[in-house]
Amino acid sequence: MSTESGAPPTTGSSAASLSPPVPAPTPLTAFFWESVAKGQLSILRCQSCGNYVHYPRPICNRCLSEELAPEVVSGQATLYAHTWATQAFHPYFVDKLPYCLAVVELAEQPGLRITTNIVDTPREQVRGGMALEIVFREVAPGLTLPLFRAAA
Amino acid sequence: MKGADRVAAVGVGYSKTGRRSGLTSWQLAIQAAKAALADAGMTPQDLDGVALLWGVAGPAPAGLDIVEPMDFGYMLGCGPLNWYGEAGPAYIGPAIQAVAAIKSGLAHTVLTLRIIRQRMSSAEQLASEGAEPKPMLVGGDSQFTAPFGSVSPIQSIAAMPSQRHMDLFGTTEEQFGAHVIAQRNFASQNPDAIFRDPLTMEDYLNSRFISTPVRLLDCDYPVDSASAVIYTTAERAKDFKQKPVYVESASYSSTKYLTFENIDDMTQSSPFHAARELWKRSDLTPADVDTAQLYDGFTIIVFQWLEALGFCGLGESGPFVEAGHTAQGGSLPVNTDGGACNVGRRHGANFCIESIHQLRGEAGPRQVPDAKVAVWANAVGPFSGAMIMTSE
Repeated sequence: MSTESGAPPTTGSSAASLSPPVPAPTPLTAFFWESVAKGQLSILRCQSCGNYVHYPRPICNRCLSEELAPEVVSGQATLYAHTWATQAFHPYFVDKLPYCLAVVELAEQPGLRITTNIVDTPREQVRGGMALEIVFREVAPGLTLPLFRAAA
Repeated sequence: MKGADRVAAVGVGYSKTGRRSGLTSWQLAIQAAKAALADAGMTPQDLDGVALLWGVAGPAPAGLDIVEPMDFGYMLGCGPLNWYGEAGPAYIGPAIQAVAAIKSGLAHTVLTLRIIRQRMSSAEQLASEGAEPKPMLVGGDSQFTAPFGSVSPIQSIAAMPSQRHMDLFGTTEEQFGAHVIAQRNFASQNPDAIFRDPLTMEDYLNSRFISTPVRLLDCDYPVDSASAVIYTTAERAKDFKQKPVYVESASYSSTKYLTFENIDDMTQSSPFHAARELWKRSDLTPADVDTAQLYDGFTIIVFQWLEALGFCGLGESGPFVEAGHTAQGGSLPVNTDGGACNVGRRHGANFCIESIHQLRGEAGPRQVPDAKVAVWANAVGPFSGAMIMTSE
């Protein structure tokens, strides 16, 4: 099947298609996924100047301190950018279309953003700048993700 | 940047370009290099540098020809090289290398190439991933994006930035459509373009969404292709066949975040820095520019470059395009070969080569009358570059 015809590609199910891509944590990033599994969102924070660092890095890019530690954040955010995916580029998402892929800005720091999905919110209510709150969801066996919905 | 130490482009060439070309990367590169040498009236013995970018779109299959600058110089029978380099993020990488090498005096005549092969269509890739027995493990920064379904560059390079541009500035789908239509009109006059049928706004709005608001017609067309441009000193340029085209200014920029999802500012990314540096190095201004060839991997990238380069104000690219300024006959014709959406994803090289054709006065029905100054630009997001070229 070809995308040139204009029809979205499809594929049959398999063991792989029951799971989205799965994180392969490293010593630097494991804290994030362990925290999410417990229903908390943690971001590395510089213990010297208070700057939040994400994606995880071993150094604070504001003050060069290498003393960074995970801190739990509130889960409050605003919607920075979003899109409704209408074509799947991975088998797991074939029957999840359309899904809302988003980048949200966490309340703790200007410019501190994570990639996520907007869920439990009617499509017409999803608007740039809207207030969001976090919700943790097990999307596949053993894989919990931090997702966001319209703030109450 | 006047004077005998200027850099000039003296030869351009393309390989056969299209999907499933059946050509290896070496064959593509050789075709483009021979075409550029012939265009310049040059032999490989005139070259003393090779700067290139090679790659496939998608996972590289086993046994693939790898085009490497030193080896490629050897294949062409060049003498010892004084410059050999590989650089990205697109064709602008090798071009900047050539300019830097020549201006520094390390080399005098550099062959630049971008060789790209589209190995699999999205449907084929999807099917091959579906055949894998285990879930896909993702490391690095992608572990924070792929599990949420950020699994195509379209979503993070184009869709989310386009939506944010609409949210911030009121840009409309019809304004995106106006660009697509204007560009296709140029393509209809370019025998080298793959898509040439004129488009209407109805055609654009009926084109299916890949990820809102990006439509199929907003996307460049993956192909197998090689493109070559030869640069030399302004002094040596007089020895060769074509009217030289001069490099007036160049810039090559990166912003602080590595992935498109986490870019510091989705609507003002590295093109804004690249443009500031570009204008600093020249006495020319945006008002002096006759035509612009701006990377159109996706429509929104053109819109960002229009604003970054100062052809219109921040957030004003939608109305600027809608008013017809970038169309044929407008004040700033853009992508006069039809852009990568219509000539194929040559990954940045066509913007340079079309600038050269325009400044030589050989663009036929697409010719911008009396074109003397062109700007071409590549990439967006974390990395980008731009160049001003002049006919005199």
